[in-house]
Amino acid sequence: MLSMFVLWLVVFAGIVLRWRWTPGIVIVTLVWTAVLLKLHMNDAIPLNF
Amino acid sequence: MRLSVERQVDLARLINIAALFALIGVLAGSLHLQFGVGEQPCPLCLVQRSGMIGLAVGPMMNLLWGIRARHYALSILAASVGAAGSVRQIFLHIADAADPGYGPDFFGLHLYTWAFVTFAVGVVGCAVLLLWEAPLTSGDQGLRGTPGLMRVAAYTAITWVILDAILIAVSVIPECGLGMCPDDPSDISGLGDTGGWVLIGLMGVLSLAIGVLLDRRRPARA
Repeated sequence: MLSMFVLWLVVFAGIVLRWRWTPGIVIVTLVWTAVLLKLHMNDAIPLNF
Repeated sequence: MRLSVERQVDLARLINIAALFALIGVLAGSLHLQFGVGEQPCPLCLVQRSGMIGLAVGPMMNLLWGIRARHYALSILAASVGAAGSVRQIFLHIADAADPGYGPDFFGLHLYTWAFVTFAVGVVGCAVLLLWEAPLTSGDQGLRGTPGLMRVAAYTAITWVILDAILIAVSVIPECGLGMCPDDPSDISGLGDTGGWVLIGLMGVLSLAIGVLLDRRRPARA
């Protein structure tokens, strides 16, 4: 999960240095965060929707 | 009374700075729990922290690059991912009525519930600011070229968010290594209640010092 925060630090470097592709890295970081969330969804939750 | 476009941009910047400090406050609470009380964050908590950091990206870009609709869009996307993490954790603990929840509560709600509230407020806040057309169409280029108190506040808030992210990243290494984190991490010996707040206060002082230094070093745009 360290990778998630390393990606955010790259995003911050991009914001400070005005890299054009920073929004793209933000999207990649968010997708990666969602993937890590999915990987941690191990238990079934007995909710009846 | 009708505000000039410049005034409206200033007001929008102030709101973005306030949003950053609000996020810093939420992150400070979780960092105090980790480094003061000694309670290590669970994997879902880390996902929510990632969402919080992502939520800060929009205001940071607005302040440094200029106010744009797509910056708010990035914050809304980050809030959506973070909210997915907090909803997952809320569901995990409300499914069983005997489940006391994860970690201590704060004003009657657990931190993951507060996280969801924060993400929801973030989405609503971004939506409201997107309705405000003047700052979005002003051609604002950010406040790098406008020295003064507002730039100091912005640099301080941005530095504080970055320091928080660095601290979180570094603290993940001993807890999780380079892989996935344990579902129920064991607690560590924290700095104590006062020690935790002192650490957060020191980060604030360091951020302010860096903010003042950056403001002095960067000349006004010609």
